[in-house]
Amino acid sequence: MKFVKLVAVIMAGLILASCASGPKIQYGDATSVETTTLGFGSTDLQTIAAKLVDDLVTFPPIVQETANRRPVVFVDKIKNKTTEHIDTESITDTIQTKLLQSGKFRFVDMTAVKAVQEQMQFQIDSGMVDPSKAVAFGKQTGAEFMLYGNMSSIVKRNSSAQDVYYKFTLKLLNLESGIMEWAGEKEIRKTGEKSFMSL
Amino acid sequence: MRKALVRTAMLAGLSGIMMGCAVNETATVTVNDDGTTQIIESNSGLLSDSLSIADTKTGFVGNLLKAQVSIKNDSRKQLNFQYKFKWLDKNGFEVAIDGRPWTPISITPYESKTVQGVAPNPTVNSFKILVQD
Repeated sequence: MKFVKLVAVIMAGLILASCASGPKIQYGDATSVETTTLGFGSTDLQTIAAKLVDDLVTFPPIVQETANRRPVVFVDKIKNKTTEHIDTESITDTIQTKLLQSGKFRFVDMTAVKAVQEQMQFQIDSGMVDPSKAVAFGKQTGAEFMLYGNMSSIVKRNSSAQDVYYKFTLKLLNLESGIMEWAGEKEIRKTGEKSFMSL
Repeated sequence: MRKALVRTAMLAGLSGIMMGCAVNETATVTVNDDGTTQIIESNSGLLSDSLSIADTKTGFVGNLLKAQVSIKNDSRKQLNFQYKFKWLDKNGFEVAIDGRPWTPISITPYESKTVQGVAPNPTVNSFKILVQD
């Protein structure tokens, strides 16, 4: 009996040493699959961006268009038609970064226009900048394409389970001709038991 | 009665250690741009016994490497795991670290599934595919 007690104490010690001790806060893999809740998460964002960037850069007319030059694109807002609060700008930021790093596209950043304007005005008006080195107005490049899209969801639930379906659509429009040159879609379905959900 | 309780507690503790602290290991496949070299390093206990790479294809879309890997479930049970592409330049440096997420995949017994990926930029000329359970 004493032996059994001793083994039990050792086992309890092992449990505590192997699992319960150690830091309560730790860094994790940012690209790991995250299933904390059924709501939109980091895995969904990363999956959407990876799929749509792959689709866009391998679409034959776009491959041709980007073979010898890097077209200039501006990113419009993604309409969030889901019932959740989703930072769609974060999705387009990731897509924009991936496209820029692919070396296939260049971007004009419409979110920085005000700051750029203020800086250029400062260079001209402040008297602190050498006029020969001040950035000239009216020399910026206009975007040829616009990237925009929608995000929608369908949520269904019963007493025991819940199903969430997301659809993210991204489109590339030629600003001069008005022709939509490319469109890509990514669908995501997630299901969960009611007791574990918190949308 | 007391003995049985102690035994149950010991078993529960042991299974707690085994399940709660399980480590995910990876299996790696490397394919060079000429498509000839293929090195398989299987260091995953569960996956190396159950998975195999049935086929790999590489090609260039414009100047971006496109990779396709067909993964086969050699076991008699459904396998749920995650995969991820790792892109390398000609010097073996990893390109766009953490650029792609772990992607969940499920393969039914003896079935093959194809996964595809496109390199993040033109410097890439080889890739690895990682799997974890």
